[in-house]
Amino acid sequence: MTDHAADLAVDAKELGKTFATVRALDGFTLGIRTGEVLGLIGPNGAGKSTFIRAVAGLLSPDRGTIAVLGRSPGMAVAARIGYMTQSAALYDDLSVRENLAFFGRVYGLDRSTVHERTDRLVRLLRITADVDRPVHQLSGGQRQLANLACAMVHEPQLLLLDEPTVGIDPELRHRLWREFAHLQGTGTTVLVTTHVMEEADRCDRVAFVADGRVLDVGTARELRERAGASTVEEAFLALRRAAGS
Amino acid sequence: MNGRRIGALTLRIVRTFRHDRRTLGLIVIVPLIVMALIGYLVGDSGKQALRIGVVVPAITPGGAAAPVLAFQDRLAHRPGIEVEDVPSEAAGRAGVRAGSLDGLVLAQATGVGPTASLGPITVVTPGLDVQVETPIAFAAASAAAEVRGVSLTPGDLPGIAVERVSLPSNVRPSTISYAAPAMITVFGFLFTFMITSVSFLRERSSGTLERLLASPIRAREILTGYMLGFVPFASIQALIVLGYATLVLHAQVAGPIWLVFAVLILLVLGTVNLGIALSFEARTELQVIQFIPLVLLPQVFLCGLFWPIRTLWPPLQWISKLLPMTYAVRALREVMLAGAGLLAIASDLIALAVFALAMIAVGTTVLRRLRV
Repeated sequence: MTDHAADLAVDAKELGKTFATVRALDGFTLGIRTGEVLGLIGPNGAGKSTFIRAVAGLLSPDRGTIAVLGRSPGMAVAARIGYMTQSAALYDDLSVRENLAFFGRVYGLDRSTVHERTDRLVRLLRITADVDRPVHQLSGGQRQLANLACAMVHEPQLLLLDEPTVGIDPELRHRLWREFAHLQGTGTTVLVTTHVMEEADRCDRVAFVADGRVLDVGTARELRERAGASTVEEAFLALRRAAGS
Repeated sequence: MNGRRIGALTLRIVRTFRHDRRTLGLIVIVPLIVMALIGYLVGDSGKQALRIGVVVPAITPGGAAAPVLAFQDRLAHRPGIEVEDVPSEAAGRAGVRAGSLDGLVLAQATGVGPTASLGPITVVTPGLDVQVETPIAFAAASAAAEVRGVSLTPGDLPGIAVERVSLPSNVRPSTISYAAPAMITVFGFLFTFMITSVSFLRERSSGTLERLLASPIRAREILTGYMLGFVPFASIQALIVLGYATLVLHAQVAGPIWLVFAVLILLVLGTVNLGIALSFEARTELQVIQFIPLVLLPQVFLCGLFWPIRTLWPPLQWISKLLPMTYAVRALREVMLAGAGLLAIASDLIALAVFALAMIAVGTTVLRRLRV
């Protein structure tokens, strides 16, 4: 299926980014369709986080072009993007409610909207009991849910999730993926990075990433079929071998 | 006690330091800089003399100029003193008020002709700096003792009257009154620098800064928010220091309190941004703490608290002019000791505002660079 630029939430072409001698992005090309959940799957150091930071406007690629929600990444589209960092980027001494209020205000929400969305999000993510506890008293999983809530408080059109399921138990991981699917139902585009191959089946489409570039994109089924593999992991390894890396 | 476990822990600490080159560098550089500064300041080499005005008496037949001239000659030979002839007492007083002279020493003779002897001596100083007043008064007392042929008892300045022209009354302020402006400044600077730099380092290491930078917030909004957030706490601290110094230690506050806070707020605004900018040079809280002596001690030594700025080696005088604490201490001395108003300390407030604006520019640049 051919992607038209107008249908793409993110349109990246031939991105390159080098840090010292490391090529973090090396001809990275990917189109993310509006309203889909796209999983970036690849090993550590593949370039997933670098790409997500380029989409968030936190770094400028050395070469190539990138459009996010039809604009150059940065201030122009920042208010329409939600960014969940790899570690729980929250203020430890503040409660979940206070963190949500702070990030909501940063995104320009008024007090009553922040209040209403806080109530809705904590119910949705089932952290109502913890909403007034300081973040430093929460378990790792609860912190990740609070982290996700802060990324969603301004109801972004594009949600960037950097390794959201690292270090959390299977039950919570299941809940998180259910929330991502729920978001998709609201028309939100979700870009999620992971190195857990089993999570590929939960995405609408998956992009295999290695050595700073996209090896293949498709549904998990398509990727398996194209590689003649029975699992996503085998398909990924076959692709890497074929790519000579 | 298990030697192997203790050894493993010791080795771990040594290895951590070995890998943390910046901390290692600071451990070496900071004491070298601070000790070199102290070594110079407590030594005698390169010091500039205090400038003292004297009114040369008219020499008339049968007059009483001889003992006064002998006194002025002895005064000119005191270490750390440079005597300058002024045409009249009024001109000398004007020089003291304007700051072109550190002091004016007025001597009178008693008697006439061959029986004339050295009479009362008056030392005129601004009265704002005990480090200026004491050496001038001591030099005058020892020169007078030589002329009179008496020995000077340590701590005693016989026949020396001190006139403090910048103070509302001629009463010598207490030691705590002299120290209070510097105490408020040091606390304000130290508290703000420490908390801002550590807070911002945490903001970076916890990922919240990255999250903020991905949001629509602008660099100048982050800095303004930080500045507004710290000002109330720095003000509360200043209020505590000021309250304790005045109510418990009876330090003098001759001028308006709001001016004390105006000085402090300008200092805090610059310091918040200095803390933010320097926190980007640190990776750990240990490294941030290492910056404290580097940014604080030179300012404490060069702000005129311990040594008059005018007597420092000229390059150090220039450095002191670049440091905000110099202006804050001077302005607070003027307000608290001399009862100065807004106009009298306007130049110091402007200097502090320039420091704050320069630091805001540095902080903004550093934050903007993080977005690319």
